[in-house]
Order: sequence, then C-alpha cells, then structure tokens
Amino acid sequence: MRGIRERFLRAAKAMWRGVREWCGDSAYERYLRAQATRCAAGRPLSPQKFYMEQLNRRYSRPNRCC
Amino acid sequence: MKRIFAIAAWGLVALAGAGALAAIAQHRGESLNATWFIVAAVCCFLVAYRLYSSFIAAKLLALDDTRATPAERRDDGRDYVPTNKWILFGHHFAAIAGPGPLVGPTLAAQFGYLPGTLWLIAGAAFGGCVQDFVILFCSIRRDGKSLGEMAREEVSRRGGFIAQIAVLAIMIILLGVVALVVVNALKSSPWATFTLAATIPIALLLGVYLRFLRPGRVLEASLIGVGLVVFVVVAGKWVAESPAWAHAFTLSGVALAFAIIAYGFAASALPVWLLLAPRDYLSAFIKAGAIFSLAAGILLVRPDVHMPALTRFVDGTGPVFAGKIFPFCFITIACGAVSGFHSLISSGTTPKMIVRESHARLIGYGAMLMESFVGVMAMVAACAMTPGVYFAINSPASIVGGTPEAAATTISSWGYPLTAQTMTGLAHAVGEQTLLNRAGGAPSLAVGMAQIFSNTIGGERLLSIWYHFAIMFEALFILTVLDAGTRVGRFMIQELGGRVWKPFGRTSWMPGILISSALIVAAWGYFLYQGVVDPLGGINSLWPLFGISNQLLAAVALVLATTILLKMKRTRWVWVTLAPMAWLVTITMTASWQKIFDANPRIGFLAQANALAAQIAGGAVPAEKIAETQRVIFNQRLDAAVTAVLALMILVLVVEAIIQWTSILMRRQEPVLHEAPYVATRWAAGAEGAAGGGD
Repeated sequence: MRGIRERFLRAAKAMWRGVREWCGDSAYERYLRAQATRCAAGRPLSPQKFYMEQLNRRYSRPNRCC
Repeated sequence: MKRIFAIAAWGLVALAGAGALAAIAQHRGESLNATWFIVAAVCCFLVAYRLYSSFIAAKLLALDDTRATPAERRDDGRDYVPTNKWILFGHHFAAIAGPGPLVGPTLAAQFGYLPGTLWLIAGAAFGGCVQDFVILFCSIRRDGKSLGEMAREEVSRRGGFIAQIAVLAIMIILLGVVALVVVNALKSSPWATFTLAATIPIALLLGVYLRFLRPGRVLEASLIGVGLVVFVVVAGKWVAESPAWAHAFTLSGVALAFAIIAYGFAASALPVWLLLAPRDYLSAFIKAGAIFSLAAGILLVRPDVHMPALTRFVDGTGPVFAGKIFPFCFITIACGAVSGFHSLISSGTTPKMIVRESHARLIGYGAMLMESFVGVMAMVAACAMTPGVYFAINSPASIVGGTPEAAATTISSWGYPLTAQTMTGLAHAVGEQTLLNRAGGAPSLAVGMAQIFSNTIGGERLLSIWYHFAIMFEALFILTVLDAGTRVGRFMIQELGGRVWKPFGRTSWMPGILISSALIVAAWGYFLYQGVVDPLGGINSLWPLFGISNQLLAAVALVLATTILLKMKRTRWVWVTLAPMAWLVTITMTASWQKIFDANPRIGFLAQANALAAQIAGGAVPAEKIAETQRVIFNQRLDAAVTAVLALMILVLVVEAIIQWTSILMRRQEPVLHEAPYVATRWAAGAEGAAGGGD
C-alpha cells in the first residue's frame, strides 16, 4: 500500500514538473541553473527582466502554426 | 522469443489497422460507428511510427546520438535550452497544432468521410511527418538555422529569398482566412461575440499580473484565466437573453471584420507582455484541454457517422467550396496531413532545445501524427451530424437560400433529407438565432463537438454551453495565431524595410512599429474584408488559396530536404522526400491552374470575374450594385494574380533545385554541406535529464 502511495506521489510530482516545464512556469529557475553551471561572469537577470526578454525573443519569430 | 512476440504484436496492430481501413472504405448505406475511424488512425499511425520513422531515422538520416546537439554546445538557458524529450514534444505539438486541422477536414467532409480520412492518414505518414522530421534534423545539424537561411545556403541565394517571400505571403493569406473563420463563427451571435470580447480584458489582466505582480508565474496566471474564461462562456448566455446587451453584441460580418482588424493592429503594436503573451498562455491550456476532451468524448460516446463515404459532390459541384476531389480534397485538408508552416517551427525553437538527435523522431514525426489524429477527430465530429445539417450550416445563402425553408428544400433535393424545423430547433438548442449559412467550418465543428460533449456530460440541457465553449475555443486559438502572426509579419516587414532605410528596421522605433503593423494588418485585413463581402461566402475563394500557399511552402521545405539528402549522398533513399514533394508540386500546380483558368465561375477566379463583367455589360446588375460587383471583379483578379505569383515562385525554385540535383548526380560539382562540425557529446547516454530536462 505504502509502495503504491509513494509511486503515485512520484508520478504526480513528475507530472507537476512536466506541466511547469511545458508552460514555461519554471523557465526562470532553469535559467538560473544554466547560469550557475556555466559560471557566467555577470549577475543573472531579475525574474522580471528575464520574463520580458524571453517574451520578446519568443514572439519575434513564427511560434504558432495554422 | 521476445522478438517473436514483438513481431506478432506489431503484426496484430497492422492487421487491426488494415481491417478498420477496409471497413471504412467498403462500408456503404447505414451509418458507421466512429470507433472504426479511431482504430484505423491509431493502428496506422503506430505502425508508421514504429516502422517508417525508424527506417528514416536509421537509413535516411543516420541519426547520431554521439554528436552534441546545439542545445548542448550552445546552452545559454535562453534560446538554447536542453529539454526533456516529452516536454519538448508538448512544446512542439502546442506550436504546430492550429485551427487548420480542425477547419480543413470539416470543410473536406463535403466529399464524404472517405477521401479526407484516407488522406489524413496517408498524407501525414508519408508527407507531413517526413517533412517535419527531416527539416528538424537539418536544422539541428545547422545550429537551429531557419528554413530561409538553410534554403539560401544549401539551395541558392534565390531559393532563400523565395522561401522568405513565400513565408510572408502565406502568413498574410493565412491570417486573412483564419480571421474570416472567426467572423463567420461570431456573425449574429451575441453569446459568442461577448465571450470572445471578454477574453481581451482577461488577457490584459493576466498580462499585468505576469508583468508586475508575479513575473513569469505562467501556471497560476493561466489557471486564473481559464476559470475566468469558463465564467464568461456561461455569462454569455445571460448576455444573449438580455435584449439590450444582445443587441449591443449582435454584429454584422463587416463590423466584426473591422473589430478584428483593429484588434490585430493593437496586438501587434502593444507591448508583447500586455495582450499577446497572456492570450497565448491561456489559449495553450484551453487548446490542450479541448483536444483531450474531444478525444475522450469520441471514445466514450462512439458516435455514429451519418455522412456517406462519398457524396455526389466529388464531381466538383459542392456547395461548401467548388472543385473536384482531385486536387481540392488535398488542398482543403492541408495542415491535417501536410503543413508547410510546420517547417518554420521545426527550424525555429525546437532544434535549439533538443538533447539528442534520436529525439527528433518522436518530436518531428510523432507530433505531426498527433496533429493528424486531431484532424481525424474533426472529420468524425463533422460527419457525426446528419449530412443535411452539415450542408445547411456550411453552404452560402446564394446556393441554398437564406431561410430554413429554402435551405431545407434545396438540400433535400440533393438527396440529404432536411426539414426547416430541424434547423430552427438545432439553432434554438445551441442558443443561436440561426445556424444557416455559417461557412468556415467553425460552427459546424462546434455543433459536432457540442453533441459529443453533451452526450458525455449534461445531456441536451448543456448543449448550448458546450456549443459556445467550442466556439470560444476555436476563436480564441485562431486569434492567438492571428496576433502572433501579425507580430511576426511586422518584424518581417521591418526587416525588409530596414534594408532600404535603416531606422525602419529598428524593432523599438515607434513610427516603424506603427507603420509596419498598419501594413501587415492592411494586407491580411484586405483578404478578410474581401471574404466577408464575397457573395459566395468567402471561404469558397480564400480557403483554397490558403491551402495552395500552405502546400507550396511544404514543397519548398521538401525541395530543401531533398537537396540536403542528395548532398549527404543518400541518393538511394531520396524518394522518401522526393515522392511527397512531387505529389505536392502536382496538386498545387493543378489547383493553381484550375483556380486561375477554369471555365466554371465557381472554380476559376478569372471566369468569375469575366462572368460578373459580362453581367454588368449586359445590364443584368442593378445600378446600386455595380460598384460592389466591380469590387468583387477586382478581388477575383487579385486572387488570380496572387495564385499565379505563388505558383511561379515554386516553379523557379523547383527548376533551380533540379539543375543543382543534376549537377550533383552527374558529379559535375562536389556538394558542399553547411553542417556545423561534429562535436562529440559530453553527456553519457540517458543523462539528458540531468542536463536540464528533468526526466
């Protein structure tokens, strides 16, 4: 029973992570992770600035189809 | 032993698919259950994915997982982001899934369920999926370069220029046509108009929330938005029931067209965070929810398909659009089987996020199979209503008449029984004043979806809510395509203008933003207006034009793919892209020829212009209608010219490519590939999750 509960919780967590990744909710966290691993020199962008930059980039090329 | 079981299991899947296809193809007479369609599509797609896509991956492309992808080599956490393959599959599918696979099959149902269903399945497996997969692979090997850049490098400078112009032209036609679908769905419907209008303040609210209150918290903002949208769908009923409010939201086609044109301009010129992005987030959630609900609804309800396998309109006399089954069935289905526009996504964001080359198979080939499955579901939903009702909703008044009685008499005389009471009763049940003459596919699909949903939850009582939910879903995500496309078109115009006068190219320069936004909106707005005032309902002229341009772009993508494969010395397998390319060139050239020169005024643009001109000359047109008729004549000639230019562009590109292919095959020149150099991956097999995907 406990095993099933744990497996269910694991699956639910994975699904939650997946939905956040899919819709872009965790984009800033991912950006910070990438910054940390690349030991980038400058300070990372603020959440607000990162969000704006990401939107401007995304909507300047075809990203929705017919 | 395991291998024998696997072969036996796949053999059974193949047999089930073949059996279901045979049942669909041979069935005549009584209605047929939708389960056959689902089994046929699922089994054929599984077999195509298991066998054909793995053949392409291994033999044609020789995908190499030891090679570092751009996401690994250039990882910057912004553009180049290593992403889990299932998440990327979701991203890619959300990007490619638009209104085309819903509207195209619904319109093509006028030929009967059989031709459209067969083309959706075969076209996707052998054409659309191949195009998406191969272009994605090519872009991965070139650091995520766009279709235009790759065409310029691998085919010729002229090829790249043609691809760029084709993209802009297609975008303009596409936006005009999808906007027309929205107008036809909202015309004289206060409930639907209010619901869609209310999504604008909701998007603005979410924009402010995401910009200032909780930057980037897309999930919570979207959930708030979805809740509000569901509320306004229900509130639309109160609006429709209040005489004063209903009057305020009952708009004519022309008024709606101008409202959408103004909206498109605002969405392009306003900051992206305020309107465009929040609407896109909202639309993505509602789109995913509606598509899954439709699939679940069809599986639960398993409706009967009442449309015959083939209707009498295969001869080209169809009321929804004119033209014979060849080539117009293929042109009309368009995106559900092959979509040129997908090549822009496959050479856009996706190649910059892929972790392994082998993932391109699931993402490129697999996502297109899913899109085609959506097309099959749309076909089922359209064919599940009785043919009489389908033709009454989708035919223009000039053909079936503008009253329920006239429509019932005309449509019954075609052999599809319909009573006036059926149409008035159905309109009443879904909360509309009328469902007659609502060409464009959206209302008939909404009726089909509402019938399936209400059979699952709520019964007849909730039919009107489900209908307006379906209309809102279709209109919402068409508007998302419209505003995102307008903005991209604006950038393209600014880029082209910037070559002539530098300041115009600066994307932050306000006069440049306003002028370029006005230009792109005026371009698609013209097509929209032309469709709204067209006496044949607009869809008859414009949807084929959209289909031709979309399939032309697919031909461009496949020409590029074939050139690259020849340069890679994969001559033996080059038929994989060459065959669908030849087919697309054949159908687009035939359709273009017929749309320009056919003697039947319902098919040929020039024939219709000439017929109208003759009517004016013969005094058959009343004086007050002469100006309007002259405008229609001009529009028909303009459509003919646009079609001719598009066809000419593809011919130039094909001729140019054939010269290059001959020279490669005759070994007159050593082919030069512009691939990024090989760099070995530093990630161990299966470590892609750690690289950022979160497996």
